[in-house]
Amino acid sequence: MFIYYIRLALLSYRRNPVLSSLMVLAVAIGIGAYMVIFTLNYFMGGDPIPHKSKQLFHVQLDYGDPAFADFDPPPQLTYIDATALLDLTSAYPRTASSKFVGVVEPQNREIRPFSVNGRGNFSDFFTMFDIPFQYGSGWDRSADENRQQVIVLSSELNNQLFGGANSVGETVHLHGFNFTVVGVMDSWSPVPKFYDVNNGPFDPIEEAYIPWHLIISLRMDRSGNTNCWAAPEGDGFQAFLNAECAWIQFWVELRDNAAHEDYLTLINNYAAEQKSFGRLQQPVDKRLFDVNEWLIEQEVVPDETRILSALAAMLLAVCLLNTVGLLLSKFLGKAPEIGVRQALGAHKGSLFIQHVIEAGVIGAVGGVLGLGVAALGLEGIKVLLGDLMVSDWMHLNVTVVVITIALAIVCTVIAGLYPIWRACTINPAIHLKMQ
Amino acid sequence: MLKMTHIRKVFHTDLVETHALRDISLDVAEGEFITITGPSGCGKTTFLNIAGLLETWTDGQYLLDGEDVAKLGDYQRAKLRNQKIGFIFQSFNLMPDLNLFDNVDVPLRYRGMKAAERRDRIDRALDSVGLLSRKKHLPSQLSGGQQQRVAIARALVGEPRFLLADEPTGNLDSNTAEGVMELLQTINAAGTTIIMVTHDPSLASRSARNIHFLDGRIADPDHLNTAAQLHIAS
Repeated sequence: MFIYYIRLALLSYRRNPVLSSLMVLAVAIGIGAYMVIFTLNYFMGGDPIPHKSKQLFHVQLDYGDPAFADFDPPPQLTYIDATALLDLTSAYPRTASSKFVGVVEPQNREIRPFSVNGRGNFSDFFTMFDIPFQYGSGWDRSADENRQQVIVLSSELNNQLFGGANSVGETVHLHGFNFTVVGVMDSWSPVPKFYDVNNGPFDPIEEAYIPWHLIISLRMDRSGNTNCWAAPEGDGFQAFLNAECAWIQFWVELRDNAAHEDYLTLINNYAAEQKSFGRLQQPVDKRLFDVNEWLIEQEVVPDETRILSALAAMLLAVCLLNTVGLLLSKFLGKAPEIGVRQALGAHKGSLFIQHVIEAGVIGAVGGVLGLGVAALGLEGIKVLLGDLMVSDWMHLNVTVVVITIALAIVCTVIAGLYPIWRACTINPAIHLKMQ
Repeated sequence: MLKMTHIRKVFHTDLVETHALRDISLDVAEGEFITITGPSGCGKTTFLNIAGLLETWTDGQYLLDGEDVAKLGDYQRAKLRNQKIGFIFQSFNLMPDLNLFDNVDVPLRYRGMKAAERRDRIDRALDSVGLLSRKKHLPSQLSGGQQQRVAIARALVGEPRFLLADEPTGNLDSNTAEGVMELLQTINAAGTTIIMVTHDPSLASRSARNIHFLDGRIADPDHLNTAAQLHIAS
């Protein structure tokens, strides 16, 4: 009967093409607008590393000036604390990381030098975040300790410098120094870029990765946010390193509760010790955040998108209310047919199912058209926000497509419940004589 | 087969109470061909709708094949309509966007019959009304008489024991009406019980029993109206 009902629904669409198309349009606009905002939220607020997000933890310490009670602790660590925690907790996979910019001078003299965004990080960075490699791999801990001038390239930078060939063992001239390529990353684009949400959570990943210590020893040009709550004592880079200035992201991988408890004890003890030295005077509620907790804590999804979500939901509701009216008109217009079907043996339940399927077909067609509206809307947002956010990640993937059509069907069926109920409870006898 | 005892039907609105049927008692035997006549508004169609389980009644008892149908729910009534009762309407009530085959198919769909058996039955039903060759046509491509023949095929395809016809010739010219009447008589001769509402005394005279309704009542409580009397009355 399901296929029979689908066929009846399509015939019914053809019988009232204008009314049916109006309903489809109302559903398409409502669903399309809603899905634009849903897609934004879906990608902005999604879990960027679902298989490990409960094992990866961002560390936060008790930073701030006690004189300002409402001071939000900065999301990064100071050099003093980052280096201390690196030594203190080396039993666990962990990484400090910071962003830098540098100029690459290609070996091919025909390519002019250009600037790249880079990241200084520890070897565990690659394994903790399950970064895929096209060629080679990340470096090992000995390269961290020995400050070896090794580099991992993004596939884009490898394409630019080596035409996409296996460049492991090749030399890259960056910031005036030679680095040996040990790995080329495969395509990897976590959204949001969870490991550094305070320096552009929706920016693309960096193009070059070097051992973190080299940022200091080679005086790489750091980029990204730096929060200081006390002036450095003295001048120069060393004074900056010793200052209460947070500029380093710090992540640790804790695979089970025991590890979590153990690590928490370590950093709690460290914080207590530092407090006794007069540091870390602004208490924080929580020192370890898993990936999703961290995204929420840092309000990666801006409040504006929640307001937009509410507005889009209201628009969807208005469109669905229109659909209720149109469905009421359509289904009550079918009263004579419903009467005949009852006379021929249809019970109310079968008529109800028939019309639920008809509403579902309208919803499905509306959903497909809504995908077009959503795609247009997303393109519009990319044009509007093009300078503010890199939006290549914002697109309709299979999940969004399925959700759109399913939502359109469910919403239209819900909108159709009252009209269907009205149509199925009419007295057939009246319409059989009048037809 | 059908036994109604003191059936009353009152329609209520906020302002008015209309007594459509006042006290109808009727016994119809298997294989009978009964016509119902009477002026407009006398309750003929209401009676037919109650007989066809499309309308409820206010008081009285209705037994169909000995079963008290007042106690049946919507699903069971629908099943009875589908399996025991066939309907023929004045304005044919074919579905305009379904071809003849699909129109005749409707009652069989609700019976959950397999496709091969449905196809066989539909072909036979359309053949019996002489329209098998046009099974892919839409109703709008047929004359009124042909549409009524399709409606009869649809009513018969489920092989009901009981056929209710509400002025089946009302929208047809006299020649076509004659053809439809002959068809109904053939169906009755094959054993199907028929109750037909009509305004046409000449058609009524051709039934074995005519019942005349007047103001919601059977005019002749003994149901003894004869064809000859009807001719005199007209």
